[in-house]
Amino acid sequence: MRKESYSCEGYRRVQPGHSDSGEMTAGLSRRGLITGIGIGALAWLTSGSAIAQLAIDPKKKGQPNQVTVVVFLRGGADGLNLVVPYREDAYYRGRPNVSVPSLGKANGVLDLDGHFGLHPSLSTIFPLYKDGSMAMVQACGSNDDTRSHFEAMSAMESGLAKRGEGPSSGWIARHLATTEHEGDSPLRAVAIGGVMPDSLRGATRAVLMDSVHDYRLDLPEEEHEAAMRDLERLYSPGKDAVAQSGRETLDVLKTLNQIETTNTKAKYPESDIGRAFHEVSTLIRAEVGLEVACLDKGGWDTHVGQGSTVGVLPTLLDDLGRSIAAFVADMGPDMHRINVVVMSEFGRRLNENSGLGTDHGHGSVMFVIGGGVSGGKVHGKWPGLEPHQLTGPGDLQATTDYRNVLGELMTKRMGNAGVTSVFPGLAPAPVGVFA
Amino acid sequence: MKLSRRECLGIGAATLAASGCSRIANRFGNSDPALPLPTGPVDATARLINRSSFGTRPGDVARVKAMGHEAYVDQQLAANEPEDYRLLLQLERFDTEHMTGMELRDIPEPEMLRQIQATALLHATYGRNTLYERMADLWTNHLNVYARKDLGAYRKTGDQKTVVRQHALGKFPDMIKASAHSVAMLDYLDNPLNVHGIANENYARELMELHTLGVHGGYTQKDVQEVARCFTGWTFERRPAISQVTDWIGDRTKIQPYGTFKYRDERHDKGEKVVLGHRIPAGGGQEDGEFVLDILAKHPNTAKFIAFKICRELLGDDGHLWESRTADTYLKSGGDIREMIRPVLLSKELSNSTAILKRPLDFMVSALRATDADTDGGVDLQNHLEKMGQPLFQWPMPDGFPVKVSSWTGALLARWNFAYSLANDRLHGTNPKKLSGDAFEAVFSRHQAGEDGVMRDVLAGKTAEAAMALCIASPEFQWR
Repeated sequence: MRKESYSCEGYRRVQPGHSDSGEMTAGLSRRGLITGIGIGALAWLTSGSAIAQLAIDPKKKGQPNQVTVVVFLRGGADGLNLVVPYREDAYYRGRPNVSVPSLGKANGVLDLDGHFGLHPSLSTIFPLYKDGSMAMVQACGSNDDTRSHFEAMSAMESGLAKRGEGPSSGWIARHLATTEHEGDSPLRAVAIGGVMPDSLRGATRAVLMDSVHDYRLDLPEEEHEAAMRDLERLYSPGKDAVAQSGRETLDVLKTLNQIETTNTKAKYPESDIGRAFHEVSTLIRAEVGLEVACLDKGGWDTHVGQGSTVGVLPTLLDDLGRSIAAFVADMGPDMHRINVVVMSEFGRRLNENSGLGTDHGHGSVMFVIGGGVSGGKVHGKWPGLEPHQLTGPGDLQATTDYRNVLGELMTKRMGNAGVTSVFPGLAPAPVGVFA
Repeated sequence: MKLSRRECLGIGAATLAASGCSRIANRFGNSDPALPLPTGPVDATARLINRSSFGTRPGDVARVKAMGHEAYVDQQLAANEPEDYRLLLQLERFDTEHMTGMELRDIPEPEMLRQIQATALLHATYGRNTLYERMADLWTNHLNVYARKDLGAYRKTGDQKTVVRQHALGKFPDMIKASAHSVAMLDYLDNPLNVHGIANENYARELMELHTLGVHGGYTQKDVQEVARCFTGWTFERRPAISQVTDWIGDRTKIQPYGTFKYRDERHDKGEKVVLGHRIPAGGGQEDGEFVLDILAKHPNTAKFIAFKICRELLGDDGHLWESRTADTYLKSGGDIREMIRPVLLSKELSNSTAILKRPLDFMVSALRATDADTDGGVDLQNHLEKMGQPLFQWPMPDGFPVKVSSWTGALLARWNFAYSLANDRLHGTNPKKLSGDAFEAVFSRHQAGEDGVMRDVLAGKTAEAAMALCIASPEFQWR
């Protein structure tokens, strides 16, 4: 569930952790469950069953595929305080209280390129920038000038310039549809949380889960086989959306019953995003054919109490940074086939408001991490922060269409050259963020 | 370089592009992905009850057939049926029903949250004024407040009574005005921080985008800023005056734990404002905000947006068939919710309209009602709701829990697990009796009609518990 999702909220008290134990080891052994499943359990890992109608390329198991992890920061993350234009006087003029101190000052930015600096609360991922496996695109966004969260998120997750101007399916759903392949895993895409994100709207072979461990029928073992069989029959004839999803759910159940996961030494933060990254690592390690994972982190709507190096935003960044760093450490050499992309629906206004926060803005920043990244660089055309360079009520312009960043990721990493099928109306322009 | 399967696909994608495009067009079209909805005959009476309530209870269909649809709808619109004693007895146990705001301070926050969650579930499950409960759920989401921000759990208790339940079948303008003065809403959308000089736009934007005009309701960013200025100084006092507390005793609807509305003139922006073309002269006070609420409540785009919300709730994707008529009714009746609802419920479109996916609360409550379960609405049920994706009063965003089919179909497993837990009597504080004939028929007949009697085969020889679980877990039971 999105327990710490975005909202138009300012001060949030730290939530008591949700009901799990907080112990972050993945000591799963599903073998015990398999015996109860019967014929369907053979599923796709072994060349398939008639019931599941799945067949898998036997070579696949030896060739782990590329995986993209999309992290959506809900609420409009303040790109100007993530990748700070610390050389710009206008930045400090507009933000007497919520700016991040300049280079060399106490709690100052971590220098990226002599013009931009990373928020010190992201120090955990600074080494990734240094070693060239992380890059940012500053002043990114859509051409839509909406400052509504819901419009902006909907447009972005649909992969559109503007909401309503194109299909309302999700961009990841369309990517999956254009790369469909016989024998695909039932777990091509996963969203960790309680509600399916719009980027997967209309997707097949995509599943929503809170945790891999809890993804099972909660029944005594002796009743399992009969229940699975009954549900398969109930869900076999229907053509509606529920029947379709039900069949996919049954396939995923069978798949997960096949996997054995290994313990990891990585220490993930005991936060929702930390847990989510941990779940993704479990699925990647299990080689279930996962291609895309969608993660959410909320709370970025910092109208109130955003803070400079202490406050709502630094707390969020610390959690995000440590979660990504744990994931990268956990995946180790496998990171060459993994990409993490971090995005938000828009940035925030240059000038701070009266509540030590910032209101909805426009251009924001994207992060890309992992294999094939032209890292160690802040990409994008910087529009500047002087009054005549701002847009709308005083916001950073978006000079790079977010879809070109995602398009480059798709072409160069996700093996999908059909960028304009996924992003209709896009005029592809190189960003150079992937080599 | 070794090519992975994905990279191989990428190279082939150019040749795939032509066929890929048309396939995408077929699958997603240019409008909605059009997730397929179930078809098949529905009983008109069962449909009426299922759309206007949280689901049929045993005997409901026969009873409503006997009294006639019109009499039933009028009875539900009157909303003065005596409540089930089981509901009243359970509610009696809650502090929120007895205590004033000052006294509630002694209740720990998790307990407050537990009580408002259980209260909502119990109202939905046992309520005899079922249309009223249905609409209360609609407005709870329309005017969503996240109970875990600040002291939201305390404040939402009052908001639920004085805003949502007070006006659920009343006049929409009254509800929106009550909400604008609600401590829960003002705090949730940061209006205490909205002061002269540097306004905070949060409340102003969502008031227009989500509460009244709708996102394409014809306002601009400039209007958002101007409306925010009009609401500068609208805040609350954390500690009410003793005289107010004395007033509240004896009138529970006035409970506003942790603060009462307060307009602070010294924080108000006294300059001239222009909102949606209306000039608001300099020198005004609280009346600036009140004037904005008037403009918004009477605006034709508010009428359209509220009509859209009501029609979608009752007719699903076919709501557009009644939208303009309902919007007209809004404007003629001053936003009278009863007058808007009545013709829609009695329309022929109701039984022909496309199926609506039950959200987790709808699903759970309809199962409890169909099985005539006794329940305390307690933690076990709330945990199941959370696993299905709908932890009550915990949607952080101001737009309320989603209505899209695709938001929910990914979490069917959690629904199956609930079905088995309920049928096998493994839920703490909840005991089902039997599956109602109505609910059973609704599932069973559609299966028979459309799907070669698979349900009959599956249920053959099953125990009563297994049959109950499978009916509730079936694809058919997920729709209303």
